[in-house]
Amino acid sequence: MEAFLPVGFLLIFALLLCIGLFTVKRLLGPRNPVASKLAVYECGVTPEGSARAPFKTAFYLIAVLFLLFDVEAAFFFPWALVYRQSLSEGPALLIAMLVYMALLVLGLVYIFRKDCLKLN
Amino acid sequence: MEAMDLIVTAVKTAIIYLGMVQVVPIMLIVERRGAALIQDRPGPNRVGPFGLFQPIADVIKMMMKEVTIPRQVNKALYLLGPFLVLFPASLVIAAIPFGDFFTLFDRNYVLQVANIDVGILYVLAIGSLGIYGILFGGWASNNKFSLIGAMRSSSQIISYEIPLGLAACSAVVWYGSFSLREMVSIQEGTLLGVLPNWGIFYQPLGFLLFFIAAFAETNRLPFDLPESEAELVAGFHTEYGAMDFGTFFMAEYMNMATMSGLMVSMYFGGWHLPWISDATLLQWLGSRNLLAALQVLTVIVKIAVFMLIFVWVRWTIPRFRFDQLMRLAWKNLIPLGLFNLVLTALILYFKGAA
Amino acid sequence: MRETLFMVFSLFTIAAASGVVLSRNPVYSAFSLILSFFGLSGLYLLWGSTFMAMIQILIYTGAIVVLFVFVVMLLNLQTVRENSPNLLFLVGAAAAVWLFSLMILRVLTRAIPNKAVEIPTDQLRAISKLLFTRYLWPFEVLSLFLLVMIVAIFAITRTQEIPQGGEKK
Repeated sequence: MEAFLPVGFLLIFALLLCIGLFTVKRLLGPRNPVASKLAVYECGVTPEGSARAPFKTAFYLIAVLFLLFDVEAAFFFPWALVYRQSLSEGPALLIAMLVYMALLVLGLVYIFRKDCLKLN
Repeated sequence: MEAMDLIVTAVKTAIIYLGMVQVVPIMLIVERRGAALIQDRPGPNRVGPFGLFQPIADVIKMMMKEVTIPRQVNKALYLLGPFLVLFPASLVIAAIPFGDFFTLFDRNYVLQVANIDVGILYVLAIGSLGIYGILFGGWASNNKFSLIGAMRSSSQIISYEIPLGLAACSAVVWYGSFSLREMVSIQEGTLLGVLPNWGIFYQPLGFLLFFIAAFAETNRLPFDLPESEAELVAGFHTEYGAMDFGTFFMAEYMNMATMSGLMVSMYFGGWHLPWISDATLLQWLGSRNLLAALQVLTVIVKIAVFMLIFVWVRWTIPRFRFDQLMRLAWKNLIPLGLFNLVLTALILYFKGAA
Repeated sequence: MRETLFMVFSLFTIAAASGVVLSRNPVYSAFSLILSFFGLSGLYLLWGSTFMAMIQILIYTGAIVVLFVFVVMLLNLQTVRENSPNLLFLVGAAAAVWLFSLMILRVLTRAIPNKAVEIPTDQLRAISKLLFTRYLWPFEVLSLFLLVMIVAIFAITRTQEIPQGGEKK
C-alpha cells in the first residue's frame, strides 16, 4: 500500500493542473455570448430533432461482449503471474488454462458464425 | 528521515509529471513540422527560430480564446468532460520506470513515480478510465455529432482494450511479473551474443498487437474514428472550444507518451542500452547518479522514437472505416492475442521441460 | 494515518453511493457509481490487496459502468419521473430493508478486529496458485457461464431486433 503513496502526490498535481487550466481559461477568455454562438453546432444548418435519440443495439452488444471478455482476461492475469514459476510442477496449469481458453474461443467462434457484430 | 523521504518523493513526482506535461508543447511543434515534412511543405516556421516558439503561440491562443458554453449542454458534465480525460492520462504515468534508482543523502530513490507491484494492471485499469471523459463529454454536449463520435470512440476504445490486455498478459507470462520495473531488469544483457535481450525478440507478435492497439487506444490515425473530422465535424469534442479543446489534445499526447513508455519498458529494454550492461556502465561513469541520468536519457530517447513513429504513421496511413475497425479488433487482433498467449505458454512449457 | 485514510475512503464511497441512489438523472448516477467504485478500490489498497484494487477498477469501473452508461445513452433514459409506490415497489423496498438489516445485524453481533488485516505482497502469487489448483473446478465452470452468457445475450438482442425492423446495416 505504501508503494501507492506517490500516486497520491500525482493525484494532487493532476488536480492542480486541472484546476489551473480551468481558472486560466475562465480568466483569460473574453465572453460575449450571442444567441447563434450558443446554438447547437450542426454545420450552420438549423438543428433538426433531438440529439438524445435511441441508438443501434450493435453498440450495446459490443459493450456486453467487452465486459465478458474483460472478465475472462482478468482471470488470465493471475494465471500469467504464476505460470512461469509452476513450470516444474507439470502441465496442470497449462491444461487448466487451455480448457478455459477453449471455451472462450468457442464463444468467439459463435460470435463470428452468427455474425452477431455484423462484421461481414 | 521520514519527512525527508516524503519531500524527495514529492519533488521527484512533480519533476516527472512536469516532464510528461512538456511532451505536449514539444509534440505540437514536432507533429506540425513532421506533417509538413511528409507533405512536402514548410510548416510553421515564422515564430522564433525555425518556428520553435510556435507551441507557445498555440497555447497562448488557446488560452485567450472565448469560452463558449452552448445553451443545450448539460453544464456540469460538459465542463467536467475534458478533465475526465486528462486526469487518468496524468495518473497512468506513475507506473512507467524511467531508470533504476538515484542516490540522494545516502538513500536510494527509484526513478519512477511509484514502484507499483501490479504496474501493468495499474496502467490498464487507470488507462481504461479515459473513456468516461469521451462518453460524458459527448453526451453532455447534446449534439448529434458529439454523441455519434462518443459512441464510436468508446466502442473502439473498449474493443481494442482486449487485444491490448491480451498482449500485456503474454508479456506477463513471459516475464512472470506484473511489475514494469522487474520486466525491465530482466531485459538486461544479450540474446545469443548478438541481439540485445529485449522483449521484442521474445514477444514479436505481442508487440505488434500492443502497438496496433496502442494507436487505437490513443485515438490516433489510422484509428481516429472518434474525431474523423471529415465525417463527424470533430467527433465527441465538436462543441468544445478554447482550452477545453486543448485539454483533450493534452490528454492525447500524454496518453501517447505513456503508451510509448509502456512499449519501451515491456519490449525495448527500458533504461538498458543495447549490448552494454549496467555494471560496465557504472564502472565507466563511476557514479550512480551519472548512470541514473544516462538511463533517464535512454528512456527519453526511446520514447521519442516511438512518438516520431506515431507522427509518421498519422500522416502516412489513411483512416479505417468503422466496420473495418471493428472487424480488425474482433476478427483479427483478439484471436491473434489468444494465439500469442497460448504460444507463449507452450514455448515456455517445452523450453522448461527440455 | 491508516485510520484517517480508511475514514476518508469509506465516507467517499458512501457519499458517492448515495449519489447513485439519490440523483434523478441516470447519467449522474453512473458517474457517482464510478466515484464510489474508486473509493472501494482505495479501501482495497488500504488492506494491502493491490491486485483486487486494480481488478476492481479494471472490471467494475472500466467495463461494467461503461455498459451501464451505454445502456443509459442508448435507451436515452431521461430524468426519472416520480412514480407512485405500487406493490412491486413496496416488495422491493421490503427486500432491501430486510437485506440491509441482516447485514447490520451481522456486523453488530460479530466482534470487529480494530486493525485492518495486512496482506503480505507475495500472497498474490499464493492466491493465484490456489485459484488454479483447489478452486480449479469453479474456475472452469465460470468459463462455461461466460460462454452461456455470450449466447444468451445474442439470443435476447436478436428477438428484440426483429420487431424494430427498419434498422440499416
